[in-house]
Amino acid sequence: MNIKLVLKLVGRVLLLEAAALALPLAVALLYRETPVPFLLSIAIVAAVGFGLSALPAQPKFFTREGFATVGLIWICTGLVGALPFLFSGWFATPMDAIFESCSGFTTTGSTILPEIEALPKGILFWRAFTHWLGGMGVLVLATAIVPKLGIRSHYLTQAETPGPVFSKLVPKQSQTSKILYTMYFALTALEVVCLKLAGMPLYDALIHSFSTAGTGGFSNRNASVGAYDSVAIDIIITVFMLLFSINFAVYFLILTKKWREALASDELRFFLGVVAGATALLTISNLGVYSGLGESLRYTVFQVAAIISTTGFGTADFVLWPQFSQMILILLMFCGASAGSTGGGMKCSRVLLLLRGIRREVHHITHPRSVEVVKLDGKLVSEATLHSLLVFLGAYVGTIFAAALIISLDGCSFAVSFSAALTCVSNVGPGLEAIGPSGNFAAFSTLSKGVMSLCMIVGRLEIFPILVLLSPSTWRRV
Amino acid sequence: MDIVIVGSGKVGFSLAEQLVREEHDVTVIDTDEEALRRAGDQLDIMTVRGNGVSTAVLREAGATNADLLVAATSADEVNMVCCLTAKDLGTKYTIARIRNQEYTSSVAELRRNLKIDMAINPENTTAVEISRLLRFPSAANIETFCRGKVELMGFRLQEGDFLVGSPLHSLPVQVKKLSLLFCVVDRGGEVSIPNGSFVPKAGDKLYMIGRPDSLDQFFRQLGRYAPKVRQVFLVGGGKVSVYLANILDKMGIHLKIIEQNEERCRQLSERFPRVTVIRGDGTDSELLESENLTASDAFVALTDRDEDNLIISLYAMQQGIKKVITKCNRQNYAGIVRSLGLDSVISPKFVTASNIVHVVRGLQNSQGSVMNSLHRIAGGGAEAMEFTVGPGTRHLGVPLKDLKLRPGVLLAVIVRKNNIIIPEGSSSLQEGDRVIIIARESGVLDLNDIYASESTAGGAGK
Repeated sequence: MNIKLVLKLVGRVLLLEAAALALPLAVALLYRETPVPFLLSIAIVAAVGFGLSALPAQPKFFTREGFATVGLIWICTGLVGALPFLFSGWFATPMDAIFESCSGFTTTGSTILPEIEALPKGILFWRAFTHWLGGMGVLVLATAIVPKLGIRSHYLTQAETPGPVFSKLVPKQSQTSKILYTMYFALTALEVVCLKLAGMPLYDALIHSFSTAGTGGFSNRNASVGAYDSVAIDIIITVFMLLFSINFAVYFLILTKKWREALASDELRFFLGVVAGATALLTISNLGVYSGLGESLRYTVFQVAAIISTTGFGTADFVLWPQFSQMILILLMFCGASAGSTGGGMKCSRVLLLLRGIRREVHHITHPRSVEVVKLDGKLVSEATLHSLLVFLGAYVGTIFAAALIISLDGCSFAVSFSAALTCVSNVGPGLEAIGPSGNFAAFSTLSKGVMSLCMIVGRLEIFPILVLLSPSTWRRV
Repeated sequence: MDIVIVGSGKVGFSLAEQLVREEHDVTVIDTDEEALRRAGDQLDIMTVRGNGVSTAVLREAGATNADLLVAATSADEVNMVCCLTAKDLGTKYTIARIRNQEYTSSVAELRRNLKIDMAINPENTTAVEISRLLRFPSAANIETFCRGKVELMGFRLQEGDFLVGSPLHSLPVQVKKLSLLFCVVDRGGEVSIPNGSFVPKAGDKLYMIGRPDSLDQFFRQLGRYAPKVRQVFLVGGGKVSVYLANILDKMGIHLKIIEQNEERCRQLSERFPRVTVIRGDGTDSELLESENLTASDAFVALTDRDEDNLIISLYAMQQGIKKVITKCNRQNYAGIVRSLGLDSVISPKFVTASNIVHVVRGLQNSQGSVMNSLHRIAGGGAEAMEFTVGPGTRHLGVPLKDLKLRPGVLLAVIVRKNNIIIPEGSSSLQEGDRVIIIARESGVLDLNDIYASESTAGGAGK
């Protein structure tokens, strides 16, 4: 393991994050709030960043260095994000600040804050801005703007971009990252404009757009999006939540005028199908809660989009919905958004491939000598990819249960401990019962909060980078 | 430039590697997922899985607006169809690897009918390269510029050479008179550009550039002038050997080929009646000795296995053969044997890839840059480039002593019409000149890049 180079890269990314902290600093100054938490954070992060990036290192960089770098950068990022929270004095313990920061960068959106509206605007801005940075990824950003980061930089972005297979949009990684961030920025700006036109104040529009873009879920209002009680805002946010949970490669195809290929994406169709199906089922199931089809549809479609995109905004308290509705939402949390989007969860393409694999297996049992291949978008999916999919599923479910086991030490119900683990690993935000849309995560023990913070990063990086980081064989010299 | 490479084999990978280093946008197509993964892991490229003949695959790889497509799969026919399809889709320039001899004879018609802009034959290219080395046995490597008017040669200094131990500016007059320049020195892997006070040591590899006859004269003075090669000993009778035999036979050089496969021996004998063909194991020293290896002027190892080639080359060198040429595809092996004294190591994939890179340079040239060719020398530690001086070149007519060049850059030769000028302080550049630049780092893409930027020049003035 070339630890010096790994630390050097971590240092470079820390410098980038120090620069990113300038934005909330500006917001704090604009609203005449104290800039001290941000100034202190910038000073610390920049000092550590400069120190690490000055390390002399040999340019030996292979897969394990790549994975370890990604894991380490994300853990450091979680800590960096916690600094302003900690210095602001609004968070009771350092663990609370770390939980909130991890929840921000991994675009989970779970909070330990009971009273959000009381916080300073600068801190709330930083909270939402971590969503935006974490959504497309800090490493993707780093490869886009830090020149010559590129020692096999795709190792870094590959681990950060979700999905079973990683493919570049254009041959050069730095160019790919630039295109991704440009599209990301444009869509976010569009949402800000739409929300502003729908009557939201500019500050709120920015916060909610950052949150939607990263599919995070932090709001600056206690009642989340429900606080505005506006049909227009609900529709705008629903549409953008869905837009941000579609593979960005699809947008690139559209931009390069390859309409047919864009619309032929199996994953896109599957995703839209699941959204439509879940909306229909939930709308009917929730008829008893709401007065009429229209109102049921309005709250249901918002919630479906919020959960499947793993954003986790709320306009309604789904804990009050029928059990059947809540079960569907749990299934949507598992499934998650599309590969190559900013959303979390298992990813639709994986679920789709697993379903096709199951169908093939059943067919194989009835016709033992049959030879059949699995395809996605009309292209052959290799057996190695299918195999790694099963391993991923095992690791994903295993992580959820292991986390639920530790959380259950707090003495909470099965629904709470399981949904807490699931919502963290899938980067959704709210869970069931006490941690539903109107609840928060403050009541958990420090141990549980630590486990959940780690789970969010594990889920965001799709398990393996953190496992590599924790594995002793990574660190052995031989 | 947007470049599509079909086939991620030896040549395809080597080519992608060199093109990525020159900042091109490279997409590689292959049917083998494993090969693609390896390429994608090591290089900053995009990979597309599929058959390069398929329109859909080519379209996905961006052949519709690619500047260049190189078809380098193992099958000639696939390569041809790839080029044809890509051209139809809109690729501007296509290169196909065509190695089958039956095709090479009619390659002109094939190229015209199939819209292939260039056909490249790795084995033939390698054979041409080897024949060049055999023609100038004194040098370990040779590069030519300006259609052969200028040559760049590398050779290794030995204990007792008159160059060893005295600085370059105190060389004897008859050497100074010659139209040549010592431009690069490679001392144990450390590459530098020597100045007048440089003191050569035994074991250094010196590169000099100048007129071919001056270089010859120099080797004579050094007492290293090997007479023309008349008898070549060749181990291995594969494709490269056939092309090489073809060239050497025409040059009137006598050849002895050792090959294990009887069928191939018969074919060789049928094609080249004047060549002595021996059936046997080329790695067997007994056989080599009984065939009077030591009487040959040169030895070429061309079997399919790198390891065999290296071992028998070392053996031949030990037997006192003056010129030993070794085929070795693996770059890391080549580095090891260079330290053992084998200087002329040729890698077919590298030669082929470099040739294509030259073409890419040329294509870029037509897009505005003015570089004519580029050669990597000293194991990639330095580059030698040929430029044409255009109206846009800065500092025309200014004496060189008044100009400041970038550190690590040397203006080695000026070719004005038919005169070869080794630049002095009073020389200056004129429009229409061709110049050869030596640079220790890559990054000189335009002739104007050789000048130190104004700020550093000012700083140095203080």
